Amino acid sequence: MKNISINKSLGIFPKSWSEEHAGRIPGNIPIWVGILSELTEFGIFFVAYFIAKFYYPEVFTQGPQSLHTSLGVTNTIILLTSSYFMAKAMANIRLDNKLKCERYLWLAFFCGCLYLIIKTWEFYWNNLQGFGPSTSEFFTIYYYMTFNHFLHVGWASCAILWVIFRLRCGAYSAKESAGLEALAVYWHMIDLMWILIFPLLYVLR
Amino acid sequence: MKYVGKLEYYLVALIAITLFNTFLGEQFSSTTLVTILIALTVTYKGFMVIDHFMELKGANKNLRFLMRLYFVIFPSLIIVSAFY
Repeated sequence: MKNISINKSLGIFPKSWSEEHAGRIPGNIPIWVGILSELTEFGIFFVAYFIAKFYYPEVFTQGPQSLHTSLGVTNTIILLTSSYFMAKAMANIRLDNKLKCERYLWLAFFCGCLYLIIKTWEFYWNNLQGFGPSTSEFFTIYYYMTFNHFLHVGWASCAILWVIFRLRCGAYSAKESAGLEALAVYWHMIDLMWILIFPLLYVLR
Repeated sequence: MKYVGKLEYYLVALIAITLFNTFLGEQFSSTTLVTILIALTVTYKGFMVIDHFMELKGANKNLRFLMRLYFVIFPSLIIVSAFY
């Protein structure tokens, strides 16, 4: 019921954007305002990447070859798996399987922590090789993008803990899962950003 | 149960595409063809997560359009960058 009032009462959007006309909004409107804002933020990162690549093409050819590609691949697989766990958590809350839902949330949280550990190790490895944010224009963009993404994964991982707490308090059920779904779509957004970041930094030469 | 099976399929497909992209990047220099292939696979991966993990397929068409547009615009810039 709270979800319905949130998705109807924000009068800033035209009627054609309402759930009745355009379809169900996964989660709620406020999280989508957040998601679209963050997409804009990451969009700025990507534009900066393409502008820098235009002006320094050789640096952007050499740069990816200096990175620890296998750590990037590992992190990509971890985030994809975490998204899978998050989708499974949503599937289970819809069946009122709260225990299984919680289990999948913990698995997603574990993947988030694993990502953060591997990313930290990668930054440390870069440092050992003598690479830092001021090494070249590629590395400036690399740290700009990956450190911001790192922060987002950290915040969302903390949000998973909050959602697990709320689940244990009985706040979510098959009929009322908008808050959990809001976290789920935010987590998928973070995964989507890494799906774009990974080829730009690790694959394209 | 059918729905549960599909999630596993999508995860395996996403991982396979990721490994394929990495193989392309490691084994070949980023020629125009390789860059276009990578851009298309990134778009496909994004669409898969948007439609089936975010569950926007069959949900709000405006949000689905915006999310998918994002994964058309930036992979298109990847293709444009091949001509730098």
